[in-house]
Amino acid sequence: MSVKFQFDENEALFRQMVRARITEILPADIQDRQRRTLHNSTDLADQRRWLAALDGQGWSVPAWPVEYGGTGWSPLQRFIFEDEMYAADAPEFNWIGSHMVGPVLIAFGSDAQRERFLPPIRSGKEVWAQGFSEPGSGSDLASLRTQARREGDRYIVNGSKIWTSGAFEADWLFCLAKTDIQGKPQRSVSCLMIDLKTPGITVRRIEQINGEAHLCQVFFDDVEVPVEHLVGEEGGGWSYAKYLLDHERTTSSFIFWIKRELARTRELGRTVLYNGRPIIADPHWSYRLAIAAAEITAHEWSVLRVLSNEPSTFPISAGASVLKVKGSEIQQTITGLQVDLLGERALRDFGSEHLPPSDDPNWPDVVQGRTSRAMMARASTIYGGSLQIQKNLLAKLALGL
Amino acid sequence: MDFELSEMQQMVVDSAQRFVAAETGLDHWRARRNLENGVDPALWIKVVELGWLALAIPEDAGGLSGSMEDVALLMIELGKGLVTEPLVSSGVLAAYVLDRTLIGEARETWLDKILLGEARVALAISDPDAASGAVAPLFFRPDGDGFVLDGCKCTVFDAPSADTLLVVASAGNERALFLVDAAQQGIEAKAYPLVDGTRAADIVFANVGLPAGALLARGDAAAEVIDAAIDRARLALVAQAVGAMEAAIAITAQYAKDRRQFGQPIGKFQAIQHMAADMFVAAYQARSALYAALRDVEGNADARARAVAVAKVVSGLAGQTVSRNGIQIHGGYGLTDEYAISHYYRRLLVLEKQYGSIDMHGAALAQIEARD
Repeated sequence: MSVKFQFDENEALFRQMVRARITEILPADIQDRQRRTLHNSTDLADQRRWLAALDGQGWSVPAWPVEYGGTGWSPLQRFIFEDEMYAADAPEFNWIGSHMVGPVLIAFGSDAQRERFLPPIRSGKEVWAQGFSEPGSGSDLASLRTQARREGDRYIVNGSKIWTSGAFEADWLFCLAKTDIQGKPQRSVSCLMIDLKTPGITVRRIEQINGEAHLCQVFFDDVEVPVEHLVGEEGGGWSYAKYLLDHERTTSSFIFWIKRELARTRELGRTVLYNGRPIIADPHWSYRLAIAAAEITAHEWSVLRVLSNEPSTFPISAGASVLKVKGSEIQQTITGLQVDLLGERALRDFGSEHLPPSDDPNWPDVVQGRTSRAMMARASTIYGGSLQIQKNLLAKLALGL
Repeated sequence: MDFELSEMQQMVVDSAQRFVAAETGLDHWRARRNLENGVDPALWIKVVELGWLALAIPEDAGGLSGSMEDVALLMIELGKGLVTEPLVSSGVLAAYVLDRTLIGEARETWLDKILLGEARVALAISDPDAASGAVAPLFFRPDGDGFVLDGCKCTVFDAPSADTLLVVASAGNERALFLVDAAQQGIEAKAYPLVDGTRAADIVFANVGLPAGALLARGDAAAEVIDAAIDRARLALVAQAVGAMEAAIAITAQYAKDRRQFGQPIGKFQAIQHMAADMFVAAYQARSALYAALRDVEGNADARARAVAVAKVVSGLAGQTVSRNGIQIHGGYGLTDEYAISHYYRRLLVLEKQYGSIDMHGAALAQIEARD
């Protein structure tokens, strides 16, 4: 053993293998829509079809244990697989299902819950939304107020969740609620799985800065949830959320998303003319792109370090916060650069359309929709623990302040 | 990819940590300004005895055949203590050049002298840049069997303590690389200190005659070996910068815990915490860029050059964040010679500029973006 930073030959072969198979199973029409989409959110029908195709391959939940349909791949192999998925413009995973509900049920759920819920996550038949934030509880999540009152064999849920992406079309909600209104949040918050078709639930779509309405607010008015849909133990919600943070350290890096946007930025640099030449021939623009690309190379290696559990003097969760800080910053930098490269051409409003409205040669596909993404990238330093919360964490965890 | 230290790597890291603990610190950094040529002879002997100069030299020449990973691990530790003995100039840069350009006995003799610390070699590559053009760059021309060097080289790092020079000179579009005795007649070095206590010199060559054997390489072969050698030196310096940043962060965090204002440690203020967190993120990013470059340093020249430029840019930017925030958190004391952070600031400034700054490497990467 010695400190070495080479990918070995097996990893290159693995990359070739997954690339070839993704090319084979990714339907061309889905890929085309993914490439041309003007906005952030994936078309749900496409996502379901893609997850089903991946499931046919046994690849839809790579990180799960093999007995639940996982792949048995190493962290580095999973990294390579996701890298290839994004590079091929495939739809994303339903993150809440495969990266939150799945791992939590596998670790803390009952056999019956695993049997009931895992297979449809794997196949894309059921997609999930996340109900954590509330109108009055953002960064201070521990102050959440949605209440689940036990009555016999059911909970009666009242309250409201916000920023529940895709709740208007999702099947299930993975929801934190108070089962004990007096207790400390660490022991009074429970984790419920709520069928979004249950009577008493109202979902309001929230019109966004970019014309989409993918974010939602969910209202609960005496919503009945069977006790079998409590995950683990009553009052265990907080520790399950913490378990997820410890096990999903690299997702918030958005490294694959960022690499795809870098490729798009390079394409834009060749597509847009400036003084009669591709704009990227101008040193000002090529310099900005070069600095962004350098930061992305380093960021990718930060992800590999966290994935590989590099020994360090500080807790590994500090590494996860670094990935979140840098990943969110770079998402904004690279999409911001696209808007800047386009200048006045970036200003067109495409409304809520999901695909380019025309094949006008003045508006190549790669030009359209860049500003929508850049605007929604402002969210990256807000959700999942804001930039400022991450810095508080780092000061404490890594520096002892 | 592997993060486990090998036995040799562990030994190297341990020895460097012991050295840093015993031989470095404020008094040492302040005293080294008074050394005649920037190198303390007693400390140099210790460095030689620790075997660090042998690390990058091949086994068949008596060295340890260490990888650039091994070198980087050593340099990270030395960077933490701001060790500035000319290990990179001799043990990394010159060792690589002489290994690749000399053969047989000459190669073994020179590599032996380097690993025993008997020869200290500096690279003279930068030409004068005065816009007046009053100072001529260095040219070579053939003269009988040998060559003549005439002109000037600027900012030759570690030259005042070197006895031997690797000299890059040009003739028309061709570059050539020579091995030159620094004490030779006609060579005049104007030595000066750098802000971090290390030394450099501007060197004038007044029609210096060289035998044919002084030519190490010319043309494309010279360019290739020089570029590869400097890229390795750059990585060693990036590794030192990573170590310096990590130490500067620890020093600053401690200061933020000790220093009290408004009745509490300033580290309790979020404004300070967020500046410190930015330092941590920056240093993490710099270490990652170093690892990325170590992956490509033995690869083809284009991949190597790009990866090294990325590491220089990212570590340079990170070094600025770390050293500037470090001073800001220290307040007025950060600007004094009595506080370690000012020494880290100065060293990180040198490491950012040496062998190409953020802007120069950024511009080189920009050209690649424009071309591809």
